[in-house]
Amino acid sequence: MHSSSFLLPKPHQPANKPIKNYALVILNQHLPRFIPRLWAHANLRICADGGANRIFDEMFQMTNDEDEKSTRNRYVPEIIEGDMDSIRPEVKLFYSSQGSKISDKSHNQETTDLHKCISRIHQRTPAHEKSNLCVLVTGALGGRFDHEAANINVLYLFSDMRIVLLSDDCLIRLLPKTHRHELCIESSVEGPHCGLFPVGAPSASTTTTGLKWNLSGSKMRFGSMISTSNIVQSEKVTVQSDADLLWTISLRNLT
Amino acid sequence: MRHSSAFLLPSPPPAGGGPAADVALVVLNQPLPRFAPLLWSRAALRVCADGGANRVFDGMPELLPDQDPDEVRARYKPDVIKGDMDSVRPEVKEYYSNMGTRIVDDSHDQDTTDLHKCITFVVKNSDNSNLCILVLGAVGGRFDHEMGNINVLHMFPNINIVLLSDACLIFLLPRTHAHEIHIERSIEGPHCGLIPIGMPSTSTTTTGLRWNLDNTSMNYGGLISTSNIVEEDKVTVTSESDLIWTVSLQK
Repeated sequence: MHSSSFLLPKPHQPANKPIKNYALVILNQHLPRFIPRLWAHANLRICADGGANRIFDEMFQMTNDEDEKSTRNRYVPEIIEGDMDSIRPEVKLFYSSQGSKISDKSHNQETTDLHKCISRIHQRTPAHEKSNLCVLVTGALGGRFDHEAANINVLYLFSDMRIVLLSDDCLIRLLPKTHRHELCIESSVEGPHCGLFPVGAPSASTTTTGLKWNLSGSKMRFGSMISTSNIVQSEKVTVQSDADLLWTISLRNLT
Repeated sequence: MRHSSAFLLPSPPPAGGGPAADVALVVLNQPLPRFAPLLWSRAALRVCADGGANRVFDGMPELLPDQDPDEVRARYKPDVIKGDMDSVRPEVKEYYSNMGTRIVDDSHDQDTTDLHKCITFVVKNSDNSNLCILVLGAVGGRFDHEMGNINVLHMFPNINIVLLSDACLIFLLPRTHAHEIHIERSIEGPHCGLIPIGMPSTSTTTTGLRWNLDNTSMNYGGLISTSNIVEEDKVTVTSESDLIWTVSLQK
């Protein structure tokens, strides 16, 4: 079961399931417009290296605050994690003095900053809570394509967690083949454009409900048919596949 | 198969460097990258996919702020505007149509993406022997559009198609060939990657990278080659699987 209720202006609490707790990871690209509402309801905020520069520089214009200083004092990440080659020294000093934990992983060059952040969250989350915790990530898409590909690979490497990559235009989730998925569509904030992609390996059989062009035991593969520019037509979309799929849905203009 | 990004050089490559590619430019509906005017001047055919025409109309004068906007628009006039016409602004379409741009309305065909239609069009209207199709605006924005555009690379493996953004370029390395990628170090690199999209790769071998692959397997959920570094002017890649090559572009 997947829901994007974190995008609603106030947390939405359906009767039959508890609100998800989520962690917010901020990577080093322009902040999306709706970041204040994500920040407000997060349990934990982690800036990956230069993501801290983005909060420091860009958060003010996303808020109705009177002055930059009060914004900076209000939006302090709990953790700044990564190899520290992008964060400006004065930014690091400021957040450190405000209480952020600085987790310097510069000795570890094998993994991306996002991987390090997810790994940390993964390690500190007890096994029985892993599938309930949601990790929202901003700044993972766009920019250098190899970074984007590596960030998408993090979804595959930590497929037992719910990780959502967000941009101004859309969100992406991995739908592992091990489960039948129900996507609760919050139509005030997301849709109608959506898609399903067999990025890792082809699918011999995928079945969906709730889309304008549903799949029915359909094959999908790069080089042939993949589901793009589809349309969400129901409040609930279901997906079942023999392959891991990436799900994407467009985001409405959220400010 | 030999690949070169000489089209990105400020001055055209010297005559001795091999046959010049027949360059076509396709502009999709996203902000223009900063080198759009340069690529426009290199191209024999310029096609705007629907709202790509808005981007040229608005964006070219912005990229050339020292010049008169009307002169810029006259100079950077698309040869064709093609697509279902639901994004191009009416006044933009009329402006270019009055200047001789061919308008090809595809609104009846909803089965293929705008890029797919443009590639088919360019192939039909070009001398194929050495065609290179450069595409602006194919990455970033809505992810399903980006995936659809990458799928177009897989659907036309025998056509030289390069997707470009401000940050990087992308093209397909089909499994049917051994590849030589010539790196223009003044504009490309050093960051690069090899990504198996759509299918795991059981064996890839490279030369010219900081972390070369040696009969290495790659797949989503495992190893993919990202944040690699180009170390030589020539990179070679052979693989039993189609791979996406990407290299960063310098500012």
